[in-house]
Amino acid sequence: MSAVTQRRRRLSGWLFVSPWLLGLIVLFVYPFIASFLWSFTEYDLLTSPRYVGADHYQRIAQEIASGEGFGKALVNTVYFAAVSVPMSIIMAISLAVMLNWKVRGQAIFRTLFYLPSMVPIVASSILWLWLLDPRDGMVNGVIGFFYEVPPLWFQGIQEAISLDTPLQFGSKDGLVMMSLWGVGNFMLIYLAAIGDIEPSLYHAAELDGAGVWQKFRHITLPMLSPIIFFNLILGIIQSVQAFTQVYIVSEGTGQPAEASLMISLQLFLSAFRDLEMGYASAVAWVLFALLGLATWGLFRTSKNWVHYRGVRM
Amino acid sequence: MKIVLGLSMAGGEMNNQRKSLWRFTLLIVISALFMLPLVLMLLASLKPAEQLTGDPYSLLPERVVWSNYQQALEVVPYLKYLANSIVLCLGSVLGTVVSCSLVAYGFARLRWRGRKAMFAVLIATMLLPWHVTMIPRFVLFSELGLYNQLAAIILPTFLGDAFYIFMLRQFFLSIPEELSEAARLDGLSEFGIYWRIIVPLSKPALVTVAMFQLVVSWNDFSSPLLYLSDQEKFPLAYGLEQFVSSYSDQTHLLMAASVMFTLPMVFLFFVAQKSFTRGITMTGSK
Repeated sequence: MSAVTQRRRRLSGWLFVSPWLLGLIVLFVYPFIASFLWSFTEYDLLTSPRYVGADHYQRIAQEIASGEGFGKALVNTVYFAAVSVPMSIIMAISLAVMLNWKVRGQAIFRTLFYLPSMVPIVASSILWLWLLDPRDGMVNGVIGFFYEVPPLWFQGIQEAISLDTPLQFGSKDGLVMMSLWGVGNFMLIYLAAIGDIEPSLYHAAELDGAGVWQKFRHITLPMLSPIIFFNLILGIIQSVQAFTQVYIVSEGTGQPAEASLMISLQLFLSAFRDLEMGYASAVAWVLFALLGLATWGLFRTSKNWVHYRGVRM
Repeated sequence: MKIVLGLSMAGGEMNNQRKSLWRFTLLIVISALFMLPLVLMLLASLKPAEQLTGDPYSLLPERVVWSNYQQALEVVPYLKYLANSIVLCLGSVLGTVVSCSLVAYGFARLRWRGRKAMFAVLIATMLLPWHVTMIPRFVLFSELGLYNQLAAIILPTFLGDAFYIFMLRQFFLSIPEELSEAARLDGLSEFGIYWRIIVPLSKPALVTVAMFQLVVSWNDFSSPLLYLSDQEKFPLAYGLEQFVSSYSDQTHLLMAASVMFTLPMVFLFFVAQKSFTRGITMTGSK
């Protein structure tokens, strides 16, 4: 290859990626730097930013300590993630195992299980807002028999985690229900992975007299562990970033009593309702740091339980 | 010996039959549970308004009121929002497919200094939560005069998306290099190779990316919330939410509008089921 064509090829490399390169500068590098700098300023969009040092970070630390504002949003987000992520993982795997059963109509079952995941999040929020209406909702119409005061769902602040009898459900539990209904994407990923497991592994285990549970516990689960890990990380990121459904079920306020005020909504409201761009930028950076920390921690523990091709890493 | 074996096989078969019947029943029950919310939505969209308030737990419509749909079209206003949604979807799909395939070609099929480092940067951008970039982007777009313009949502798609670029790169890597070499010997330019060889061979992957972006754009609620203020420009996802806050007692219209908003996605899934499942399972195997 001549030097000229080589240079041309090298140049064309940069040329081909130039749209993304422009995007990198405009949509990432500039915002990245600006938001970091603004997090040390008072900025309301109308007047230019005014340096205030680490005031916003101090305020965030205080709010975490007192459980107001960001602190409240953090607790809500952690609750939502801690309940919805493990439940989604268990549900997605169980459904995938069932969809792998050789029964008549397998393809139809796969479609039916997946279909709710195609429902736009705005539509499913509207739908569940109605289904979980404390007075007229179908869900309370069914479980209402067991309650003197039926669950308040999106209007309630009592959460299932308090384990009252009878079990109460609040706004975050409603959001968990919604996320479980739309578990289809990961279900499909698990389904494909289960299909990839060598049948000989199961045959060998059967010869050793392994039962259904033992095969699941010692073959299926370890073989799925890289995907469980991927699901865990992505699930945490997604639940921290959950915005649309939170906005709609709380009518853009985080009500009732801030029970559904998640970090994404709190940040959005600080920025675009209260015009506190500096504080909101600081919240974004704290969130970024916390997410990074959580991901790093999970990667560290992953060595103990994630198996790649059957080898523990 | 033969008899014993035959007997035990017959017994096993019986057992198997009972097992698969039991499994089949379980699958039916769970499918019903998953479909129930959608069925209820559909039924509610056909009920008369007074039935939804007077007898909220009844299943079937007392009488089927098709006019709910007609009314929803007018009250929401559905068709105007639909037009905006279509503009958003088409623009974004075009931008995504064009930019991401070009960039992926640069990363997968060309050798240039800095490629590896740039690819690492590309992956790193996927890890950045949108919260960090949201406010400066908003300020920048406003200063560029894009506030209250659909372009504020469409234009960024022409600058590529890390996830799709990654997906397409993986696909392009699987195309044999000999094809490109032969084309180069024939004097085809790099763009020619991209356009005449790689793109035609990558149709399934490109369709998958297009479908994904179509769903994302159709569903996108936060960008219109952020950038659009003029009701004339709202897409369905945002317009529908506006309707919720002002007509929360009109469940029959709300459900009719939601059905009309959901059906295109369900339809799309049935038409392009293969590209969807392929794309989704590809995500898991990275």
